[in-house]
Amino acid sequence: MSGEAWLYLFAVLINAVNLFLQVFFTIMYSDLECDYINPIDLCNRLNTYIIPEAAVHAFLTFMFLINGYWVPLILNLPLLAYNAKKYAPPLYIFFLFPPTDSAGAASQLRGQVKADRNLRIIDNTHLLDATEIFRKLNVHKKESFVKLGLHLLFFFFYLYSMIVALIRDDTK
Amino acid sequence: MSAPYDGYGQQSPADVAYAGQPQEGFEQAPAPTAPASAADHGKKKKRGYAAQAYDFGAGANSAANPQPAAGAQPYGAYPQPQTPTYPAGYPGQEPQPVAPTYGAAPADVAPQYGAPQPQGQGYGGYPAPDAAYPAPVAGGVSGPGVPGAAGLSQQMAGMNLGPGSQPQAQPGQAARPVALNQLYPTDLLNQPFNVSELDLPPPPIVLPPNSSVTPSPDANCSHRYVRSTLNAVPTTHSLLKKSRLPFSLVIQPYGALHDNDDPVPIIQDQIIARCRRCRTYINPFVTFLDHGHRWRCNMCQLTNDVPQAFDWDAAMQKATDRWARHELNHAVVEFVAPQEYMVRPPQPLVYLFLFDVSYAAVSSGLLATSARTILDSLNRIPNADRRTRLGFIAVDSSLHYFSIPKDDDENGDTNMLVVSDLDEPFLPVPQDLLVSLSESRQSIENFLTKLPAMFQNNQSNGFALGPALRAGHKLISSLGGKMVVLGASLPNLGIGKLDMREDKKLLGTSKESSLLQTSNSFYKSFAVECSKNQVSIDMFLFSSQYQDVASLSNLPRYTGGQTWFYPGWNAGRPEDAIKFASELSDHLSSEIGLEAVLRVRATTGLRMNAFYGNFFNRSSDLCAFPAFPRDQCYVVEVAIDESLTKTVVCLQTAVLHTTCNGERRIRVMTLALPTTTNLADVYASADQQAIATYFSHKAVERALSGGLDAARDSLQNKLIELLQTFRKELAGGSMGGGLQFPSNLRGLPMLFLGLMKNVGLRKSAQIPSDLRSAALCLLSTLPVPLLMQYIYPRLYSLHDMPDNAGTPDPETSQIVLPPPVNLSSERLVSYGLYLIDDGQTQFLWVGRDAVPQLLMDVFGVEDRTQIRVGKGSLPELDNDFNERLRAVIYKSRDHMSKGVGSITLPHLYVVREDGEPSLKLWAQTLLVEDRADQGMSAAQWLGILREKVSQR
Repeated sequence: MSGEAWLYLFAVLINAVNLFLQVFFTIMYSDLECDYINPIDLCNRLNTYIIPEAAVHAFLTFMFLINGYWVPLILNLPLLAYNAKKYAPPLYIFFLFPPTDSAGAASQLRGQVKADRNLRIIDNTHLLDATEIFRKLNVHKKESFVKLGLHLLFFFFYLYSMIVALIRDDTK
Repeated sequence: MSAPYDGYGQQSPADVAYAGQPQEGFEQAPAPTAPASAADHGKKKKRGYAAQAYDFGAGANSAANPQPAAGAQPYGAYPQPQTPTYPAGYPGQEPQPVAPTYGAAPADVAPQYGAPQPQGQGYGGYPAPDAAYPAPVAGGVSGPGVPGAAGLSQQMAGMNLGPGSQPQAQPGQAARPVALNQLYPTDLLNQPFNVSELDLPPPPIVLPPNSSVTPSPDANCSHRYVRSTLNAVPTTHSLLKKSRLPFSLVIQPYGALHDNDDPVPIIQDQIIARCRRCRTYINPFVTFLDHGHRWRCNMCQLTNDVPQAFDWDAAMQKATDRWARHELNHAVVEFVAPQEYMVRPPQPLVYLFLFDVSYAAVSSGLLATSARTILDSLNRIPNADRRTRLGFIAVDSSLHYFSIPKDDDENGDTNMLVVSDLDEPFLPVPQDLLVSLSESRQSIENFLTKLPAMFQNNQSNGFALGPALRAGHKLISSLGGKMVVLGASLPNLGIGKLDMREDKKLLGTSKESSLLQTSNSFYKSFAVECSKNQVSIDMFLFSSQYQDVASLSNLPRYTGGQTWFYPGWNAGRPEDAIKFASELSDHLSSEIGLEAVLRVRATTGLRMNAFYGNFFNRSSDLCAFPAFPRDQCYVVEVAIDESLTKTVVCLQTAVLHTTCNGERRIRVMTLALPTTTNLADVYASADQQAIATYFSHKAVERALSGGLDAARDSLQNKLIELLQTFRKELAGGSMGGGLQFPSNLRGLPMLFLGLMKNVGLRKSAQIPSDLRSAALCLLSTLPVPLLMQYIYPRLYSLHDMPDNAGTPDPETSQIVLPPPVNLSSERLVSYGLYLIDDGQTQFLWVGRDAVPQLLMDVFGVEDRTQIRVGKGSLPELDNDFNERLRAVIYKSRDHMSKGVGSITLPHLYVVREDGEPSLKLWAQTLLVEDRADQGMSAAQWLGILREKVSQR
């Protein structure tokens, strides 16, 4: 079995985990809607999985990067960017404007970002907030559905890639 | 209904008399003549000014006037307010041409309306038209002027109210459901808004006759308790969407701080009939079947058995008259709940005070004043069951607990126990920290007397609020109860530490909104934790510097408490001390509910969609209140999921709570509303005050999440949307250059303008974020009458108030207030004396050319320069005018007469027109219709609206 096949197998597994997490999220949200669970428990339960989910995904993307698999990397980038934006709003600006010595728009912007960070609203915006959950339930549900769909697509893509890699191994 | 306009053209005799007056008043009034007339100032008040005092205050008569052809008068040219234009178009007073149609309706004509009653029940039984008529002239305030024959639909609305309403259905007579309120488009540009329109009750709820099982006048919920934004509900979601109006309820379960002031019928026998399926409480709108053995739920149509004991009086051991039962006669009732409604035995009332004893609090006199106030209020704290418990914690950089012995404990001594571990606050002793008020009364008194001295010389600048809250929570979480925080500095130690994050440069920019958001998530998570354990938190905040009200206000917001903010408070000023002492004392005396939940149930097809107010949503339709305050209101948004097929829908609000006397009770409020398929009906029955309240809550939410600009823009867009919809759908497309809107919504543009100019939302770089946050808290909690006053303050002209103003009304023995005036500086004359009152602050405005006699009468000084401006009170002088003035101010602070409970005692500021500019500017910001700093004037506002509306 080649490295490529291993990588895709790993991707399939990781993706399955994420897929399950999203299903779990979706079920929990609809439970909340039907009053099977109270918002405090829901937030406590889901909040423990939010960071692992993003971390695992980021790790997978990173693996594609260092192994030089550009197609899956590009596929994963939008989701990565979305997560990054959610977890650390001003962070992405640093990627867009890498620090340079020249005083210009970029450094001004960074100053702004710094100010922003001092004003940061809540130190953990990515986590669910029991007081707001009912107002934002629809947003969360939509997000969960979209992620579910994406992961499902990725799952088949990885599976396909893995099989292709295995067949290629065999034919060699 | 052919002629909606006809009413406006009509001049009643009263108008003719009125028409002559403006000039008269105007000529007499001007300033230059003042010295001359000053000599007999007393007389002048009676005559010269009284001429201006227009027939408005003179009786219900004028209020009842149809339109005084206001279109002819240029806006602002009036030296005085116009008679309200609103009543004319107001459905309650239909112009005569229309009335006959209704007049015919009673018995014989009805059948031709066809439409058989869906429920197959015979309708009819109109009362004799005259029966429910108020006497033409004696309309009074409550039924604002029902002139002559015009009030028929009012009377129909008052079907249940009318003494002539008949219980028996007349068999065989099918009538169509009563016609709903009539739509009267008016032109906002030609007929300027008059402030007195805000005093009118909402459009009446026109129910088909006999929709309730008893003919009781209280069968439908009064608008004091529950108001719907739409008093005629569209049958489908698409119609609601087309109307662009919101459908929501504004719920204010209590009308006063104390039960005695606002009694509701109480059902003591613990027989609570509820629908098996939807859990609706039995109410006046159910139907009885099978000779009264079963009842059909009016929400879900399920047939339920009537409980065995429903007609049985267990105490007297005899049968009772079912039709006399309160729950079938009154829409607002309180059930005494049996065991099944308790998860644990009713908890006692618990008050835990967290005193800030840091240097700032001690030096401003906060500690001494609050200790003294609590001491004086011990008798007022509800303690009927003698179980009330009190606890005290003092906080600076460490926590000070006080163990207070029982009175009969001979060698007991109050001990102070200091804990300086802020990370893991623990309780130093297990008992005596929370003591019974009855058993330790003496010790508590001693303690409170000594408390200020204990910290007299405290130099600590720390304020470990977070650890103190956690300690307090630990102390009372097993019981639940109320924590009252009295803080004068920024919490700067331990968990929940806050930073000084306000930056003057940010004010007025888009970044400002971040200052209104919580900076430390502790304040949210802890609030949720408190809500879980039935702990409610009240914040009394006094800092003279930045205190981060935005973060701190989260604790009350999610636990059913309230934030009270006293900027720059100092006990050295008697006004400050009196205000706070009175408010805290009232607050402690208020009969709050404990461990409460609120749920709204409605007819199948309606769903409660969103909830606004100070509580925590424990599930999608359940609002949890660790303590239920009596001075707040809540907004519930209703969604229409399925088409409504019935002619009447019901919405039932139930508040399950423990009274402070340890009794479990359910307050049930049932509101029935007619449905309609007609867009015009929806608009004609829309309640502008409820709509404004809904959007005030919405705007606060928007301001906190999206920023102030977004909140203001969404308000403006919403209004434009409404105007456009009305113009397109109901006013027949473009109708010249006017701005058409129904008469019952005429105040909406001004209310929205007031909202956008309110301290909480105004565009300005001068407003500290603490003040903004505090204002936002008010905007999302004040009950409707106070909220209306807060966004569109009252302006009373005092120098020319009518003769009876300031004296008790002979009939009601209530003090008569002068008629309110529109909030525009055009209405202020330079020799005048005015009261501007937004319910939170009052300004006594002294004109530039006020005559010495007036000053002498009011302030007892000769010269304007001798008046003490700023925070103050009116001197008590022994003359008629001064007495009446004080009576007016006293009355303007009377919340009872507005039908709400509130602890607020507004500050009175004396403002001289040529005096201190900052104070004057502040007072002027309340003049909503004026152009200010970055806000537009009423005329500009209407101009913009018109432009935008005709654009698209």
